[in-house]
Amino acid sequence: MKHGISDQDWEGYVEDRLPAAERDRIEAHLIGCLGCWEFYEQMAATTERLREAGAATRRGIPLSDEQLHAGLRGVFERVRAGQPGHATQRGGRIEQRLRYLEAVMAPMCGAQTAANALRAAARGSAARSLDEVTTDNWEPFLRSLTSIAAVMCGETGAHLVWRSGQF
Amino acid sequence: MDERRVIESFLSGGTEEAFCALFEVAWPRVRRYFLLRGLDAMTAEDLAQNVLFIAYQRAGEVREKDLFYGWLFAVARNELMRYWRRHQSRVGAPLFEPVSAELADSLTVEPDVMRDSHLQEWLTYLEPAERDLVVLRFVEELSYEELALALAIPLGTVKWRIFNAKKKLSQIIRASFPESITKRIN
Repeated sequence: MKHGISDQDWEGYVEDRLPAAERDRIEAHLIGCLGCWEFYEQMAATTERLREAGAATRRGIPLSDEQLHAGLRGVFERVRAGQPGHATQRGGRIEQRLRYLEAVMAPMCGAQTAANALRAAARGSAARSLDEVTTDNWEPFLRSLTSIAAVMCGETGAHLVWRSGQF
Repeated sequence: MDERRVIESFLSGGTEEAFCALFEVAWPRVRRYFLLRGLDAMTAEDLAQNVLFIAYQRAGEVREKDLFYGWLFAVARNELMRYWRRHQSRVGAPLFEPVSAELADSLTVEPDVMRDSHLQEWLTYLEPAERDLVVLRFVEELSYEELALALAIPLGTVKWRIFNAKKKLSQIIRASFPESITKRIN
């Protein structure tokens, strides 16, 4: 606590959630303390930026009707089965996984490049073409794609691709 | 129907129709939370389906309708922790194979495709528990009371932790937007 103002007080003041008496006490102090005034300005600006970034993030994660409907179907499948699904047991959902790998790479290198990378990875692996990628030859395909991603997106991007490709 | 009424309708009746309406508003938020916590889209969707399935089954456990999202994100956090525990030792490091010069030459990176949001970068400066707080507060706009329920911590601790996360981020944010802060102070 500095100058009688705790972090909880500051949070309440910055978010305008303090009772009037508390607010008045802090404002009376701010009038005479430049250091605290500057600190308040900085924390208020930080809060504002976080709100803006939060709103931008909400807008930046789109969801199609198709995904929404697929999600609802997934829940009702679980309701019928009477148990939650397991993200590790995906059987032959290769098509979906390929689409997601493409979506993972697209923000890093562009949609067209991501699609090309998938095709190149398939050609360079035991599958030989994207249509022939199966669960049996998935690992060499993913290794090939990860290596390509390392060249195009850097090692961090490649790690992301590698992790995203795990069943 | 607004979101509050959708939640009330589901919690009071629990019909399939009410659940579908709830799913439309709640599933995208839970999915987004998982994405922002670093899961790939497919896993995020799978886990979000699990969370909504649990909501479908255990809606009776929600004591205060106003805190529904606090309860739902508590379920989501548990699901995320279970997922991480399961996968911690399963995923090894990738092995990078050499890419042929011909292939390397044909690979080009398209510019300007990164999202215009700083939040993802800022989150990397925070501890995992702080990331939860920031995502749930500023992206999902949970109240302090909902956050206390979601994170199972007292209300005072929520405020203290949020403010500490803000303090940590303030220097980084100031570096991202130097002119706007200066303008405010002047």
